Amino acid sequence: MKRRIKLSVVLINVAMWALALVWILPLYGLTLVSLMPYRVVVTEGWLRIPDLSVVTIKNYVDVLTSPLYDVGTGLRNSFIVATLSTIIPVVAAALAAYVFANYDFTLKSMLFTVLLFVMMIPQQLCVVPLFFLFNRLGIYNTFTGIILLHSAWGIAWSTFFLRNYFRFLPRSIIDAARVDNASDFAIFRRIVLPLSKPALITTSVMQFTWVWNDLFYAIVFLVSKDLQVVTQKVIMLKGEFVVDWGLLSAGAILSMLPPLIIYALFNKYFIQGVAGWGVRR
Amino acid sequence: MRRTRKQIFYFLLPAFSLVTVFVIYPIVYSVILSFLDKSTGAFTLDNYIRILTDTNPLKALVVRNWGPTPPWGALIHNVIWVAIHVPVTVFGSLLIAYLLKYHVKGGNLIKTIMYVGMVIPPAVGGLIAMFMFYERIGVFPIIFGWLGVESLSKTWVLYRETALWALILGSIWVWMGFGIVVVSAGLEAIPRSHIEAAKVFGASSWKTFWKVVVPQLKPVITVVMVMTALWDMKIFDFVWASSKGGPLGASNVMAIIMYDYFIRDLNYNAASAVAVLLTLFISPIIYIAIKRMRE
Amino acid sequence: MSFLELVNITKRFGKTVAVDSISLSVDKGEFIVLLGPSGCGKTTTLRIIAGLELPDSGKVIMEGRDITYLEPGERDVGMVFQDYALYPHMTVFENIAFPLDVNRRRLGLSKKDIEERVASVAKMLGLEELLDRKVTQLSGGQQQRVALARALVKEPKIWLMDEPLSNLDALLRVQVRAELKKLQMNLGITTVYVTHDQVEALTLADRIAVMNRGRVVQVGTPREIYENPSHVFVATFVGSPPMNMVECRALPDRIECPGFTIRVPEGVKVLRGETKVYLGIRPEHIEVFDKPVAGAVEGRLFLKGRPWAQSSSSTYSWATRCSELGLLGS
Repeated sequence: MKRRIKLSVVLINVAMWALALVWILPLYGLTLVSLMPYRVVVTEGWLRIPDLSVVTIKNYVDVLTSPLYDVGTGLRNSFIVATLSTIIPVVAAALAAYVFANYDFTLKSMLFTVLLFVMMIPQQLCVVPLFFLFNRLGIYNTFTGIILLHSAWGIAWSTFFLRNYFRFLPRSIIDAARVDNASDFAIFRRIVLPLSKPALITTSVMQFTWVWNDLFYAIVFLVSKDLQVVTQKVIMLKGEFVVDWGLLSAGAILSMLPPLIIYALFNKYFIQGVAGWGVRR
Repeated sequence: MRRTRKQIFYFLLPAFSLVTVFVIYPIVYSVILSFLDKSTGAFTLDNYIRILTDTNPLKALVVRNWGPTPPWGALIHNVIWVAIHVPVTVFGSLLIAYLLKYHVKGGNLIKTIMYVGMVIPPAVGGLIAMFMFYERIGVFPIIFGWLGVESLSKTWVLYRETALWALILGSIWVWMGFGIVVVSAGLEAIPRSHIEAAKVFGASSWKTFWKVVVPQLKPVITVVMVMTALWDMKIFDFVWASSKGGPLGASNVMAIIMYDYFIRDLNYNAASAVAVLLTLFISPIIYIAIKRMRE
Repeated sequence: MSFLELVNITKRFGKTVAVDSISLSVDKGEFIVLLGPSGCGKTTTLRIIAGLELPDSGKVIMEGRDITYLEPGERDVGMVFQDYALYPHMTVFENIAFPLDVNRRRLGLSKKDIEERVASVAKMLGLEELLDRKVTQLSGGQQQRVALARALVKEPKIWLMDEPLSNLDALLRVQVRAELKKLQMNLGITTVYVTHDQVEALTLADRIAVMNRGRVVQVGTPREIYENPSHVFVATFVGSPPMNMVECRALPDRIECPGFTIRVPEGVKVLRGETKVYLGIRPEHIEVFDKPVAGAVEGRLFLKGRPWAQSSSSTYSWATRCSELGLLGS
């Protein structure tokens, strides 16, 4: 059976796949550079088939172990901050979202608008007073402080997201549970949460990534070397005058790995979460 | 039903207590600070006047004398960023999403690949932008080197003629994936029958695209525009990691100006004023976004 | 004293009045059906009894207690929803056990107690084999029975049902209908049942409350509703094919209808000079003859819009337009 394939379609396919390759090129390049000594890169470039004899992981080792670069500490700190900054807001947001989705109360509209507003404002608008507040409370330059801050921000968009999801659970199921005299917390814990697993995963995944990727709050609120997160450590690999791309790329790749791994594992949830912005369900 | 009222309160308590302390209170205090004099604590508009009229390119929001190249002032840079980034992202993602959906095999994989820019830290995104335009190792300088264009084969981020543009182009790399994913979702929502009917009536792909598809994508396009524009105006990590706003303010952005006043000058009032001004500037975008999200 | 009493219940949604000052009494053990077209307020009334909606005014009184503002859970009702509202992530056992489990401490039940009660209810409804299955794996009929079981297991004072059979296929519906009635009679639970299907109402109900546009138009036994409708709406809503209606003019000594005139029926007095009346006759009360007969009205038969033959009708029949037969007065 002969099928006539239009030339234009072939061209489009080629173009799109070429585009994808172009898009991956920077990461590919960065990876190659991280696996070669920088002087080799400078003299011979990386835009070629890699010469396996030159491949080395020295950059990674240096970046992780050397106390000067200390990326290993950065990774550990990022994990701590991001994990706690995910659990707290997702729980708080789920509780709030439950109420927004199922009940009407006088301040509902106003409170919801507050959440939307928080989602949109610049981080810069909060930092100065928080700087003073944290100092007064003694949580400046601590994990506690920055975790609470990230949680507060996370709550805003997580509540919005979860509420939209909760709204689409069948109302009759919740009515049935109310008739059976289940308390709101029982309904929340035993019915709404189990039925919301996908949304909870999506929220957690996106919040973790967002906190992991943060730099601004980290440089303002985490000052000690042993508390700094990986994004801070990475930009410190960039020298003032000379850039050793071998080290910098290795550090960058390490800092990217956890989000990328999560992205690969939970790809579906990422895309669904973002796609939700596009569809009026 | 009184039991319900109490429950609602407790359910909302954790979320809103955190938000009130760590977001609402600071916002209010920031605004107040912006109107207070640094040393006397009296009400003043000086902070705003100072940040708006400072002509030092390192601090300027709008530069007095415009040269042919940046620096033109942080605010101007942000606006230019939006003016370039948003249309490119919108048109690009419309086109690519459309082609991926209807004409390309394996479109989902391409989408997944191109979305990666959104997953990595923006700071690293900035490093990648720097990398792509770095002399001898960045793709663009290499290509321009081959083409013999000397001025573009240097490290873009180190020269004021090129720094801002390198970053803007880098941001396109970051956000295109987002646009494509969101537009694709919007396309899924368009019934296939609409497209097929147009084809039956003899409309070309191009016409179908413009007359049938695009109008139905208006809400989706709004989302892409709003998210991208907000990011471009609020941007910090991306620029800080790569050019730090340099050289000499040629790639400065509002958020970096705020940071300078805050950490470098310890001028908390001026810093707050910058933050408030920035918020005011993006408030129309915020307004559109909130309106759309309240449905 | 009646078991359940609604006193002047009114409920508005925005500008629409869904329930317009409804009053109703339900006796203990009674099976009462709220019957009416969609939008008539029957479901809203049911939800007000359940406590899922609060009325704007009026009272709900059960066994002498004012329960108008009590939480649904505090009213001791069992409810079956139109879409069954089963918890999809739980097994049949867990679904049925839920009302007990959630109140375990308050009712002082041990795990064993719950298991026993669930088992006995499951047996009653033929669900013993299915207890470990996830509810999403069951057929429509089976799911419906699980919903019933869940509403039963807590031995509620009153059973509320919102069109529970409408999602079943026709054959199953008839079957379940019979079982449901038997079950209710055996257990003697007061039941309020909402439906738009008049056949269901006529077969299940001890009494029917016919509703339209937020009001109760007539309350009575199925026989009363059918044979003595007090309103044109009830007359035409109940009965399939519907009752035929003719607008006539009533005078003291006769009633003038389009095409024929009849005597004023015995025991009826026309009060004022001229009144507009509606004459209704059920299709089954029309006899058709192909020869003129004494006391009959002559007319022409239309079958699907086309003249059929010259025919006339018996003494009981009046000039009407039936759904398929068109009989015009002479």
